[in-house]
Amino acid sequence: MTVEELAAAVLDACDAEKVDHMVTGAFAVSFYGIPRSTKDVDVLISLMGGDPIQPVVSRLESIVDFDPQVQFDTLTWGKRLVGVTRQSPPLKVELFEMFNDPFVLSQFARKRQRFSEQIGRATWLPTPEDVVVQKLRWGRNKDLDDARDVLAVQGPETLDMVYIEKWCAQHGTTERLRAALAGIPPL
Amino acid sequence: MASIHDDPAALKALQDDIYRERVLRARKMTAEQRLAEALELTNSVFVRMHEGAMWQLGTTDAALGWQEVRRRLTRLGRVHDEGRFVLEKPTPP
Repeated sequence: MTVEELAAAVLDACDAEKVDHMVTGAFAVSFYGIPRSTKDVDVLISLMGGDPIQPVVSRLESIVDFDPQVQFDTLTWGKRLVGVTRQSPPLKVELFEMFNDPFVLSQFARKRQRFSEQIGRATWLPTPEDVVVQKLRWGRNKDLDDARDVLAVQGPETLDMVYIEKWCAQHGTTERLRAALAGIPPL
Repeated sequence: MASIHDDPAALKALQDDIYRERVLRARKMTAEQRLAEALELTNSVFVRMHEGAMWQLGTTDAALGWQEVRRRLTRLGRVHDEGRFVLEKPTPP
């Protein structure tokens, strides 16, 4: 199974269960920044309408072995469910449940639909501004590189920097934003 | 011959040049092309990881190679998730 086949299967499962969703992680970063490899397909799933994760998980059960133990993000306390493909290669699927976090809600409401020939279907993605804000908020080294890459490739002049600065101020990540911008050499 | 690693300014200039080239290359691509390249890179990285694991194990058994890749990725996942994800949400005081 290729990573695009896995992504298509996950998104098809969401559609089949009428679960609103958005692809995040390396897919979104590569769409707006510098293409890089990944080990997983990350999808944010909307909680609206009950308990959507289990039916999606059930639809994927034949190809993905999900850990029954739900995990919590220590930064936001959002829920994450992790699975690994049963066949090789061992690709990971991470399903994040949308929750009542102002930024996550804003990011989800602003998502955009794009068609991917490789995945073979339409895909919902966050805006580049939201990718930058989220990556700066997570703040691991790889996240900070991803944020800088999106800022560099898109160009701050084309981005809604007021929106980015507003959320960075709320998340206490303004210094990270400054450092990411300062890390971009003159182009 | 002096090594560039002994000259921080020259090293920084080289790093900037490499990064600039990567950014300008990405800018010339469409978003769809960038995503396609990321997918291709991902699939190819898994093939390389599998080859590397088999070579290290000294085996021609593909299943054994994938088993080792799976083991390594599980360990790597634990390292990346350490402190970032927990199994229980603390109860508020």
